[in-house]
Amino acid sequence: MKIAVCIKQVPTREWQPRLDDSKTWIRESDASFEMNEPDAYALEEALRLKEKHGGEVVVCSAGPSRVAQVIREALARGADRAIHVEDEGLASADAFVTAAALADAMRDERFDLVLTGLQSDDQGFAQVGVVLAEKLDMPHSTIIMEVQIDPAAAAGQPGALRVKRELEGGWFQWIAMPLPAVLTIQSGINQLRYATLKGIMAAKKKEIRKAAPSGGAAAKQKIVNLYVPEKGKKTQIIGGSPAEAAKALVQKLRDEARVIQ
Amino acid sequence: MSTLIFWLLFVGFVGVFAAQVATRVRLIAAAPNTFDVDDPGFRVGRWLADVLFQRKTILERPIAGLAHAFVFWGFVAFAGYTSVEFLYGLGIVDLTQAAWFHAYRVAVVPFATAVLAGILYLLVRRAVVRPIALGTHVSLESIVIALFIATLMVTYLLAFRLEEGSTAAVVNWWVHMLVILGFLALIPASKHFHLVLSPVTVFLKSKELGNLPNLDFEKEQVGLETLNDLGSKSVLDAFTCVECGRCQVNCPAWGAGKELNPKAIILQTQDALLAGSRDRKLGEIYSEKVLWQCTTCGACENQCPVGIEHLPILIGSRRGLVSNGDAPAYLGAMYNNLERRSNIWGLGYDQRTKFVQSAELETFDPAKHDVLVWLGCAGSFDADFQKSLKSLFSILRARRVAFGVLAKERCTGDPAKRTGNEYMYQELATANIDDLKSAGVKKIVTSCPHCVKTIGADYAKFGYQVEIVHSSVFVNELLQDAGTRGASGPSEAITYHDPCYLGRYAGKTDEPRALLTRFGADLREPERNRDNPYCCGAGGGLLFADKEEEPGSRISDVRFKQLQATGANTVVTACPFCSIMLKGAQASAGADTQFVDLMTYVDGKLRAIG
Amino acid sequence: MILVIAEQQRGKLNRATWETIVGAQQLDASAITVLVPGASAASVAGELAAANVREVLTVEDAALDPYTPDGFTAALQDAIAQLKPEYVLLPHTYQTRDFAPKLAARLDRAIVTDVTAIKTGTETSFVRPMFQGKLTADVVPQGPAPHFVTFQIGAYRVDQVAKGSAPAPIRALSVTVDPSTIRQQPEAPFQQAKAAVDLSQAERIVSVGRGIKEQANIRIAEELATALGAELAASRPICDSGWLPMERQVGSSGQTVAPKLYLALGISGAIQHLVGMKGSNTIVAVNKDPDAPIFEIADYGIVGDLFEVVPAIIAALKG
Repeated sequence: MKIAVCIKQVPTREWQPRLDDSKTWIRESDASFEMNEPDAYALEEALRLKEKHGGEVVVCSAGPSRVAQVIREALARGADRAIHVEDEGLASADAFVTAAALADAMRDERFDLVLTGLQSDDQGFAQVGVVLAEKLDMPHSTIIMEVQIDPAAAAGQPGALRVKRELEGGWFQWIAMPLPAVLTIQSGINQLRYATLKGIMAAKKKEIRKAAPSGGAAAKQKIVNLYVPEKGKKTQIIGGSPAEAAKALVQKLRDEARVIQ
Repeated sequence: MSTLIFWLLFVGFVGVFAAQVATRVRLIAAAPNTFDVDDPGFRVGRWLADVLFQRKTILERPIAGLAHAFVFWGFVAFAGYTSVEFLYGLGIVDLTQAAWFHAYRVAVVPFATAVLAGILYLLVRRAVVRPIALGTHVSLESIVIALFIATLMVTYLLAFRLEEGSTAAVVNWWVHMLVILGFLALIPASKHFHLVLSPVTVFLKSKELGNLPNLDFEKEQVGLETLNDLGSKSVLDAFTCVECGRCQVNCPAWGAGKELNPKAIILQTQDALLAGSRDRKLGEIYSEKVLWQCTTCGACENQCPVGIEHLPILIGSRRGLVSNGDAPAYLGAMYNNLERRSNIWGLGYDQRTKFVQSAELETFDPAKHDVLVWLGCAGSFDADFQKSLKSLFSILRARRVAFGVLAKERCTGDPAKRTGNEYMYQELATANIDDLKSAGVKKIVTSCPHCVKTIGADYAKFGYQVEIVHSSVFVNELLQDAGTRGASGPSEAITYHDPCYLGRYAGKTDEPRALLTRFGADLREPERNRDNPYCCGAGGGLLFADKEEEPGSRISDVRFKQLQATGANTVVTACPFCSIMLKGAQASAGADTQFVDLMTYVDGKLRAIG
Repeated sequence: MILVIAEQQRGKLNRATWETIVGAQQLDASAITVLVPGASAASVAGELAAANVREVLTVEDAALDPYTPDGFTAALQDAIAQLKPEYVLLPHTYQTRDFAPKLAARLDRAIVTDVTAIKTGTETSFVRPMFQGKLTADVVPQGPAPHFVTFQIGAYRVDQVAKGSAPAPIRALSVTVDPSTIRQQPEAPFQQAKAAVDLSQAERIVSVGRGIKEQANIRIAEELATALGAELAASRPICDSGWLPMERQVGSSGQTVAPKLYLALGISGAIQHLVGMKGSNTIVAVNKDPDAPIFEIADYGIVGDLFEVVPAIIAALKG
């Protein structure tokens, strides 16, 4: 099994947003960065598949030079080597540009399986994995809760891969497809491992291949304005008699939070 | 003829002794050197107190300790006598007729009587009373040794009654000398080896409780994985153990019925070292499960009378496990929280910002502020503990102490350090040190005893020195003149739970009590208090470990019962984690005991005074 | 022309489709076509025809049943080629996330996802959250039409839909799909076996704490859970007392949960409990003590006696 995991570096959750002068992107100099959490689950799943079926895990990331930090982290957690498509412009790239950059660098590697997180914690498109599948001409499935590989099946055989996909409302579905394929992994599918000291030491010796983006893809969307939303999360204390409060609560749960029908 | 026979016997027995000692010395010499003799003045003072004056031995168990001290002082007193008799028996020189020797012999008679009384008491204790600390089986070898010592004293005293040169006197002399030789041969393989080693071990014991030097990643240090990795001090410790069981009976994990027994850890080390196969994994020798039961409360190390340090072995082994990815799942989750959120809870940073705003805290500025208040993981995120921090702020403001907080704080790294995740600890520590340095901080006040230990003692190992005090110490000093008026009205019964990292590690036991009594508390001391408290169960990263525990057998449950037994309905705590654990135990027990943080207690009283 | 792709399973319309129609009506109410793909599309088409739209199309092709991203991409690619819309609007459901980016990539057209509002003016921009909701962006799709836009669930209210004066015409549209291009083979959807309690997968949770006072009172929390279709959970003291089994315990010593709705009854909110449920989408707290830490993280709070409030909530849910 030759497994690729696409990871992204995003601002940490502790980061307090600050905008740059153009007001269309963040001031990156103020931010500290970390591995996109959904991608960490994809990496963990890849490592578990490798432990089970053997092979190799290659982390692929498209981004500016700072991305090297999360690539090292992935290598420390157990990935075997890395591909870094490096370009400063990729920091704010849209999903099409990112997917194209990744696809071009990954195509010749002929991966058996490509995993990504469901979406990124920065722009949150939930598109890169699916677009990447189209660009690599692989079948895909999204929001995956479990991955089964039939080691006996030939790669192109329809049943080589069987995945459990999450549907809405507590429903699930198994889907079979041939390899190679692209999967986007649901967060929480596994328990993340931490980077061990031995892994960190070993990571220093692992290969990171740098690639330049081919530059063919044009941006498909433009941020014209970026701003802090007005409403922060605040506790609404509902007053009145128990009956009034209960009525108001149920109405808010239906219309505002939309968590009940 | 008899000289020759004595020579043969002497060479034989001393040979047996020497061969056994050599095996052990070789094992100590082969281990990576961890001996340290910094601050010799302190070490000499401690040596005099703990070895010569038997301080630890007597304080922990006064009667047995005194009995032991008599035996020890007797042995010291007898050293000259025994040497003279050996020189005589070996035909080297006969000093037995010297006048000073006669005087000396008479002078040690009271010692002999004291040794005899002491050893008979200890024999009865061991064979009949059998306290659990000494193990479940009566040690035959200890009985033999006790009888040996008794025989030595009896034969010594008997010699005064026997006519010099008579057959009886000769036989008596031979019995005395043979018992000494037999004793010698038995020493190295038994707990009595502490006679030889403990003076050295006590001298070499670290000044700092739970001393864990930083791992050097450049040298590819990853912690203790196999027996080979144990440091020379730990190997020395293993052979020094006197098996008294003080560590065991003071261990909160053992007290709550868990498998961890610090004495067993040391004896397992000894057995494994002697058995050879030095690449055996420590996780197998001690069992991984046991290694994760330690709260790092430090009771074992603190109570040991012979200078053994348990924590470097326990935490060192954890380091080895963590470096290989073998930490339990709940710790893996905590590490991810620390890595991704820089706090143990995994909560978002806006929670801290919200608190800083609502408490109207200023960002620290050395030009404006006298001290920095370090909030800590609990202070930043636990709404419950934030109430007690607000009390601290109110006291500081009332006394016009100008204080600020850091714009951003990470966990100090304490839970990472104590669970053996050295890499994460160093990442957090160095980042915090950078922030503290660039903020120009000179003095820190915090309500978290773990932060005191980590920032104060552990950060010093990076060469970073800063004054950090616990709020109880700072506020006690601040309010020296206050409170006496507050003693009006009936005093209330209060029990105070010493946090391990404040009472035992920092030795701050008077300040919280001074504050409480100054404001009219009727202090009811619980079992296990001051510098030997019983842990709440949270230390050593075990805050989240209760997933694995049976309700009712948690360390916190045991401690809660001890506090409840004082009859006081109010428990004052001075550590956020003690408070979390004990409140949990109280809620589960369905008891109505009130928990109050020390700062909230003091602030309430101050406000009442007006 | 604005094309709305409806979502339905076995003849049951996904309510989010209505929200997407509201979005379409905000863009241009006069040129909306709703396309219903999949088997039994016809049975929901009538329902949708009530909206103020120009036309409702049904696409019932073997390639669309069961749903696969390959099948949907191919069928809708053909439909779009026939209809030539300016916008293709979809609800941001799990199914949309599965195929819409592929469809847009196939056509090499822009797709803006998770949109919460539309800003019209000199140029139309779409409002979407970024950076975990810390920031909001106004986004303009680039390149030639059609532009794909997916709407966050809850972006609009279903009752904002403008109804038509007369039902819109319904027409069947046929598409051509090569079945050999469909590589996914889905099995029948299923729900997790209910035998074991798995709070981590629960969508709604009603959780009780010490405020419930005694074991017998747990019944009223149970009634509320039933009324909400929620799982019952508890804080540590409740499970330690044996009032509920250990597997229902939430917190650092129990389960970590992340439901859409977490309703905490008589739970003060000790930090050990909070770390187990902090990921919940919407948190409701009912507690007597207005200073209880649980209110710090709750979205909605009622300060009051749970024995009065809970029956009132049950009544309000039924009423």
